[in-house]
Amino acid sequence: MKPLHHFSAVELTESFQKGEVSATEIAEYFLERIEKHNSDLGAFLTVFEPRMLQKAKELDEKRANKEPLGRLAGVPIAIKDNTHVQGEITSCGSKFQEGYRAPFSATVVRLLEEEGALLTGKANLDEFAMGSSNENSAFYSVKNPQDPTRVPGGSSGGSAALVGAGLSLIATGSDTGGSIRQPAAFCGIVGYKPTYGRVSRYGLVAFGSSLDQIGPFAANVGDIALSMGVMGRFCEKDATSLELPQEHYPLSQDLSNVVFGAPYHYLEGLRDDVKENYLASLEKLKSLGAQVVDIDLDILKYSLAVYYILSTAEASTNLARFDGIRYGKRAQTESLDAIIDRSREEGFGAEVKRRIMLGTYVLASGYQNAYYTKALKVRTRIVDAFETVFNTCDAIAMPVAPSGAFKAGTIREPLQMYLQDIFTIPANLAGLPAISVPSGLCQEGMPLGLQIVGPQLSDTSVIQYGYAFEKAVSPLPKGAFYE
Amino acid sequence: MRYPRLPMEDLDRKTLDYLKRLCRIQLTDAEEKDLGQSLKNILEYMEFLKEVDTEEVEPCYFVLQGLQQEHQREDVPGTPLSRETFLANAPDQIGGMVRIPPVMGGE
Repeated sequence: MKPLHHFSAVELTESFQKGEVSATEIAEYFLERIEKHNSDLGAFLTVFEPRMLQKAKELDEKRANKEPLGRLAGVPIAIKDNTHVQGEITSCGSKFQEGYRAPFSATVVRLLEEEGALLTGKANLDEFAMGSSNENSAFYSVKNPQDPTRVPGGSSGGSAALVGAGLSLIATGSDTGGSIRQPAAFCGIVGYKPTYGRVSRYGLVAFGSSLDQIGPFAANVGDIALSMGVMGRFCEKDATSLELPQEHYPLSQDLSNVVFGAPYHYLEGLRDDVKENYLASLEKLKSLGAQVVDIDLDILKYSLAVYYILSTAEASTNLARFDGIRYGKRAQTESLDAIIDRSREEGFGAEVKRRIMLGTYVLASGYQNAYYTKALKVRTRIVDAFETVFNTCDAIAMPVAPSGAFKAGTIREPLQMYLQDIFTIPANLAGLPAISVPSGLCQEGMPLGLQIVGPQLSDTSVIQYGYAFEKAVSPLPKGAFYE
Repeated sequence: MRYPRLPMEDLDRKTLDYLKRLCRIQLTDAEEKDLGQSLKNILEYMEFLKEVDTEEVEPCYFVLQGLQQEHQREDVPGTPLSRETFLANAPDQIGGMVRIPPVMGGE
């Protein structure tokens, strides 16, 4: 039998259900891998050793008793540490929340556990999901499993790195402006941001509520389909959850009659090697029977400015609750006012402070029309532009990020870091489903991704297109941690 | 459309102090220097939006227009988490409540 971390989640649960491997063996195997690699990789903030072994024991007993096991039975899955798992720490990568134990589980966590998932632990992230390199974690930064001198991307960098290194087969992430897709591309794995409202946000610590969406990471698209079949459910505890029938995400390699839009003009200025890889990806789509047409999405050049107004405005409001009074780290001082000011000073890192201040600025009396309302109107124009484009194509194919994973410590200017998200932000602004699938290597030998974006609710098609594309690309090298 | 004069050149100590008050955040000297400059750069970048024509365009507050069903739960009490559960993360508590320093004068 091949090593367990070389199994897909689909294969592993099948193998467990057939009795070829026990859940306890799976749990022990992955705990050992985590123990061996996490101190070098930094991908986990918490490891659920007792919880995992207990769950494995229950699964083995269920199997022995021939009880129903669930679609994810025995699959090791990590949870981004801004999502609640009852009784476990939710740090959000912040000193403010160090030691905070979740009083309830997020809906996605409940759904995964109900289907028999073995939760492995909590994945490191940029503080409050604000960052594109995982260098903003208050605890330690995550390394890219393909090259530890490079970043894994962010903000769900821990989730991407631990799947890339084979420390879990699936991980959850949250994607506000690219936080699933960009790290997936950087680590050479698949990341999926569902249609806004497809996956419940209940139990996710909010960053930009109109943009945040939880989604899965996996080594292959088949496992994304498996996990979305479990996670994509209506939830009455999330006011923006869509009441839709549960999807099953069938997979097929046929792309005949599928039309992809390529926003060539918007992509001018792309680095040569990234452009070459992108054009080669379009050729692969064509070789699978798809048609590729030129589309006009020039309005997307305003996405970044719109995003950093709206997401910071929403963040400044969402993070107002962190005051050191009811939970979180309380500064030791004399007065109530000083507690709030000092707790926030000591608890938040520099990037979080920057975004709260920016968000407060754009909402401040006198500036709100110039920034916030203006951005909301440009958002309408972006949503409309996508709608128009989807009259002429079924999905859009574009790069995930302007480069492959960069060296840690090399991007210091915040605006330069924000530009990492330039191709991923538009899907969040319009609430669209988007998948990032490995597409080859850049000139430095790091993975690149192709992003496929579909209309709202086209999750099934986007995942299917991603599957077809994945089958046409030669598998990428996995890096030293994986072997 | 007319824009208020943005205090770009005066994203100075006065503006930062005002923002700090609104955000309830104190900054170290190093953070203040770094933040002042980066906020200025980011706000300058955002000026770019002015060139987009948004006459007659409605603001987009919510992206799921038309997709979301009207669902409101029954107006019946649920089972909330217990007081102990809520208080388990409180930094300080007394008699089943969150404890804070006195807010009235001592005399």
